[in-house]
Amino acid sequence: MTLVLLLLIPFLAALTVLTCKQSRRAVRVAMSAGALEVAAIANAVWRVRSAGVLQVGRYLRADGLTAFFLLNVGVILALVLVYSIGYLRHIPAGRFSSPRWFYSLTFLFVFTIMAVYLSANLGMLWICVESTTLASALLVGFYNTKGAVEAGWKYLVVCTVGIAFALFGTIALYLAAVKSGVNPESALDWAALMNAAPNLGATRDLIKLSFVFVAVGYGTKIGFVPMHSWLPDAHAEAPTPISAMLSAVLLNCAMYALLRFDTITSHAIGSGFSHTLLLIFGGLSVTVAALLMVVQRDLKRLLAYSSIEHMGIIAIGVGLGGPLGLFGALLHTFNHSVAKALMFFTAGNVRESFGTLRMKRIHGMARSLPWTSAGLVVGSLAIVGMPPFGLFISEFMILTAAFSGSRYLIAILLMVSLSVVFGALLHHFQRMLAGKRADVPSKLKLVPTDFAVMSVCTALLVMFGVRIPDAFAYLLQRALVVLQ
Amino acid sequence: MGLIELAAAKALASSAVFLFITLLMMASAKRISTCIVLFSVQSAIMAAEILAVAYAGKSVESYAVAALVIVVKVVAIPYLLFRIVRNLKASQDVASSTTGAQSVFIMAALILLSFFAVAPYAKTLRLDEDLLAAAIALLLAGAFLMVSRKKALMQVMGLLVLENGILLAALTTTFGMPLVIEIGIFFDLLMGVFLMGLFVFRIRDTFEHLDVSKLRRLRG
Repeated sequence: MTLVLLLLIPFLAALTVLTCKQSRRAVRVAMSAGALEVAAIANAVWRVRSAGVLQVGRYLRADGLTAFFLLNVGVILALVLVYSIGYLRHIPAGRFSSPRWFYSLTFLFVFTIMAVYLSANLGMLWICVESTTLASALLVGFYNTKGAVEAGWKYLVVCTVGIAFALFGTIALYLAAVKSGVNPESALDWAALMNAAPNLGATRDLIKLSFVFVAVGYGTKIGFVPMHSWLPDAHAEAPTPISAMLSAVLLNCAMYALLRFDTITSHAIGSGFSHTLLLIFGGLSVTVAALLMVVQRDLKRLLAYSSIEHMGIIAIGVGLGGPLGLFGALLHTFNHSVAKALMFFTAGNVRESFGTLRMKRIHGMARSLPWTSAGLVVGSLAIVGMPPFGLFISEFMILTAAFSGSRYLIAILLMVSLSVVFGALLHHFQRMLAGKRADVPSKLKLVPTDFAVMSVCTALLVMFGVRIPDAFAYLLQRALVVLQ
Repeated sequence: MGLIELAAAKALASSAVFLFITLLMMASAKRISTCIVLFSVQSAIMAAEILAVAYAGKSVESYAVAALVIVVKVVAIPYLLFRIVRNLKASQDVASSTTGAQSVFIMAALILLSFFAVAPYAKTLRLDEDLLAAAIALLLAGAFLMVSRKKALMQVMGLLVLENGILLAALTTTFGMPLVIEIGIFFDLLMGVFLMGLFVFRIRDTFEHLDVSKLRRLRG
């Protein structure tokens, strides 16, 4: 029941919100549904923490890894919904562009994300990941401008083709399992596959083939270079709360799918092959994204490339493997989500007050928008991995894992890229923040909810930088048990 | 192996040839509606194959999958696409960046390539080489159609052909996946085509053309 509720609440919310003609009512319904969903997530995480694994029927399942990622969704969903109260004042009227459509599609998106995390079957997992694309494509094209329509189309086509490759990989794994004597009916079930994994070694080539296709397929959705072309467009053109959702929830969701396959592959044929592939994708993403960040002109595109970079860092963490690398990688998914959400929220405020995201045209932010600027500074210090913020800890862990495993090449690559990112952000932001008080076209007054989300993000970042709470660390350990 | 199973296997093997023919015709097609008809025919061939498998294996699930293919890929999606083409009132030209002869030549090369690609796997896994090659050829052909045709609808067509390739691969290697999964995949596909149709109309309304090679506002 706990798990069914997680799916039921957003689904019903998506339908209910649609019936609310008045926008104030729609907001109220959305907030209460959001609160219910977050409570349901907290309940589910708590249950998994004490029970280990929850299973409902054949297709719904939650273990430690699920619980960890569910917590991530819960935190970001709460932040995004609260932020959207202030943000929605700016949504212009038009086809599809009204609060009720916005919330309805958002809840549909949440429904599909929940389905990804809860599916016990790799085929089901594929179906759900594909439906996240379908559910969010309309959100990316929400504004119906030229840029938004183009970004939505590109997102839909590129991700659908990419994900099709993942289906091919899933079929190859299924074939390998069936050939090794697993019952065809359950050959895609996670638990059955994990039990059978040590015996899959005979179909070595097939498993390698499967992992390559899955890595390319889900990698498209994660935004690995060179399959990242949809990502900056979609992040830049989507409404800001959705950009935050894409970056902080959706990318992790695809990463979760890849992690599941990586675990099975490692169990079947040893971790060498899959981890090397992850290191290559990760290294490539980190380097290319860091270099591209230097030349960006649009604030949200800059943040999108930063997401690619961080997904690369996470892939490197997983690729290095071992308890330290994996722990760092998982911790980094959470830290990155919070920091990136904070930065997208400030970017949304900038957009509404300056009427543009072109960084060239933004000056004197520190004087005209002091609180937003403070948020941006905190976010960027966190995102480049400065102490005392959480990302410092997780990046340090991954670097330590690299050095202790004598992977000097990847360690140096990572350090150089991080310095380039630091320089790029410093270069862009000092131009935006400094200067005389700019005459802001539309004076934006921050509402209490804006302050609330920004301070919660900051508090979380500092908290995880100083000391990881015991309860959280325990949950992380539970997630690691699933992966090893 | 019984006589019926042998006959079914033969039918499967020769159907690969018909699939290659639809691919070559698709490469030479000039109008979008021709491509839609060809896609429908291609799906019908696959449905026939699945029926053969179902008959040989006496499996109820395979009959269900065949019914799904007929409903979704032979009827529903082509109908949806025809409606879109009619309502768009735009030119039917596929706007290929290669000439007809070049396209056919490239398609033939891709078919040849897929035979080379599957040769090692087909031997070790004892699978039907022709059909596996057809699956890979469909995959490659779909990708080729997507990159060489400039019309938004043709990209959808390319995607559908690619998806057919994956279905065929699943069919030849494992005789299909569990039914629930197949239903989910078909549902996703139908919703995907529906959404892409929606976006095609939006592209026409905001850009006043359907040439995706001109969608170049977002770069860098």
